[in-house]
Amino acid sequence: MKPPASGRAARPGASRPAEARAPGPASAARGRGMNAAVVLGPLSAAVVLLALMPALLPTASLLNLQSALGLALFACATNLLVGYGGLVSFGQGAFYGIGAYVIALAWLHWQAPFWASFIVAPFAGAAMALLVGLVALRARRLYFALLTLAFSQLFYVVVLQQTGFTGGANGVFGTILPPLLSDPGHAYYFTLTVAVLGLLILWRITRSPFGMTLRAIRENRERAEALGVNVFAHQLMAFVIAGGFCALAGTLFVVLDQSANPDLLNWTQSGYPIFMAVLGGQFVFLGPALGALIYEQGRDVVLASFSDWQLVFGLLLLIVVLFSPDGVAGLLVRGRDIARRRLRSLRR
Amino acid sequence: MTGPNVIVTFLSAMTEASSLFIAAAGLTLVFGAMRIINIAHGSFFAYGAFLVTTLVGASAGGSFWLALAVAGLAVGAMGAAVEVTVLRRVYRRDHLVQLVVTYALFLILADVALHLWGTQARSVRPPSMLSGSVAIGSRSFPAYDLFAIGAAIVTGLAMWALLQRTALGWRIRAAVEDPELLAASGTNVPLLYTTVFSIGGLLAGLAGAIGSPLQSISPGLDASVLVSAFIVAVIGGLGSVAGAAIGAVIISLFDTAGVLWAPGWEPAFIYLAMIAVLALRPSGLLGTAER
Repeated sequence: MKPPASGRAARPGASRPAEARAPGPASAARGRGMNAAVVLGPLSAAVVLLALMPALLPTASLLNLQSALGLALFACATNLLVGYGGLVSFGQGAFYGIGAYVIALAWLHWQAPFWASFIVAPFAGAAMALLVGLVALRARRLYFALLTLAFSQLFYVVVLQQTGFTGGANGVFGTILPPLLSDPGHAYYFTLTVAVLGLLILWRITRSPFGMTLRAIRENRERAEALGVNVFAHQLMAFVIAGGFCALAGTLFVVLDQSANPDLLNWTQSGYPIFMAVLGGQFVFLGPALGALIYEQGRDVVLASFSDWQLVFGLLLLIVVLFSPDGVAGLLVRGRDIARRRLRSLRR
Repeated sequence: MTGPNVIVTFLSAMTEASSLFIAAAGLTLVFGAMRIINIAHGSFFAYGAFLVTTLVGASAGGSFWLALAVAGLAVGAMGAAVEVTVLRRVYRRDHLVQLVVTYALFLILADVALHLWGTQARSVRPPSMLSGSVAIGSRSFPAYDLFAIGAAIVTGLAMWALLQRTALGWRIRAAVEDPELLAASGTNVPLLYTTVFSIGGLLAGLAGAIGSPLQSISPGLDASVLVSAFIVAVIGGLGSVAGAAIGAVIISLFDTAGVLWAPGWEPAFIYLAMIAVLALRPSGLLGTAER
């Protein structure tokens, strides 16, 4: 299997002897997960399976799955920054919340049609991400994480305090959705369509020259800079794209819940897409989506029998982080490779 | 405003600053020595406060001071246990992994706290010898609040003495500069990290314990304290204990002024201040630049 990631990133510097020791086992594992078949195969199988679900599942389980689809988009969009860009943003909850609030507030104050605000919301998220990114990307590493955290908390307290406009701690709720989406089955198919299209576009982005450059910057910022890459512009673009898609995921929350509340923007919310990415596997495109599915289904199962979902999730996260650096998807990819090798040796 | 009013308002702000400083000092010490952002620091604070409510309640009218000491030490021991069992495995991994690990601990500890202490808000009364108030001109000021301010000052001086005047402090400062060289010259660096992390836990637990009579203690305290402590530590300069003191004073004055002159907007101002410091001077007021 050819690793396209390190292939393209490394090409310009390949003649230099230093290149020989640059790609370690980690970058080999990272490159392996980016193969087209790894994404398109499971994705199309999953889409067919998910499309059949309304016929098979009771409404409660269907809602859970619908929630997982929205969170899958949220986690994969966040992972464009955290996994592909190496930019640990601890404030993506802000953009998720903005997506939800654009629809809810437009409905509350101006009786705007859902479809109009649904189109506007991702752009609002992207525009806000542009403003935040311009400031936050001045800082590096942990300081960047703290800056994004500060921005999301700023949005959170403003939404919380400006009760007259935002409804304060109660948030906004009501019959926000058009009649078409009030039917659970329709809402599910709408969410499925938006999430799958969103994931496909994100996936294309990660495979584009832009996505490759973003990864090159993650691996070696100084070298990328020396090669003439405008690091700041690339990272800002990634931040804007992620902000837009997080806002899109936020609109799906409104489709699920017919509400928006300030907790969507709180920093504790911003942790979840990161955990889902780490749990599922950051270096496989659909890893975060897998993490979202495990999170939502796990919560359903655990909460059905006892109350400590945070405890179980925390332990699960600890175990995965300590013993499988590439998450659950990393384990699956590794397992598949071992199985293939076995098969090949059997045929011989 | 009249003289006594100004003094009382100022002292109230300093009371708020005191528990904030002790919490932020632990956070900043751990970050300075180990480059770890410890999300579970907020949990340690909450555990300190919850432990006091239990211990004071258990020994009906029992000793607040004993509860204070036990809560601080117990949380310090928790810190040591966390370092040995979990953190030690991720020092060589990237900072995202370290962040996720401490956040996972935060989630686990939050659920355990729900089991131990329930969802009801709890409160604790200050010890009887400090339950009165002190007259300041025409106004009066709670005696316990003065104690809290004093405790923060003593903690600050003790940390200064520890870091500047003892062999342990010398090693901690050396670990910030070059852990490999320190290990090569005979210091048991893993043990040093355990010590530092447990001091961080002790400080968080003490901050929670000292702050326990000053606020209502309920689930969610962990998250809110963590964010405040971060703001304080960041503004002062992550890694600088003196910076944490200045940061705590600035934030508390800011907060008090905000409540007086722009009610409803004061948290927004505080986050704006944090953003401005991080964007313009990431090393904060007294921090040293990130290498």
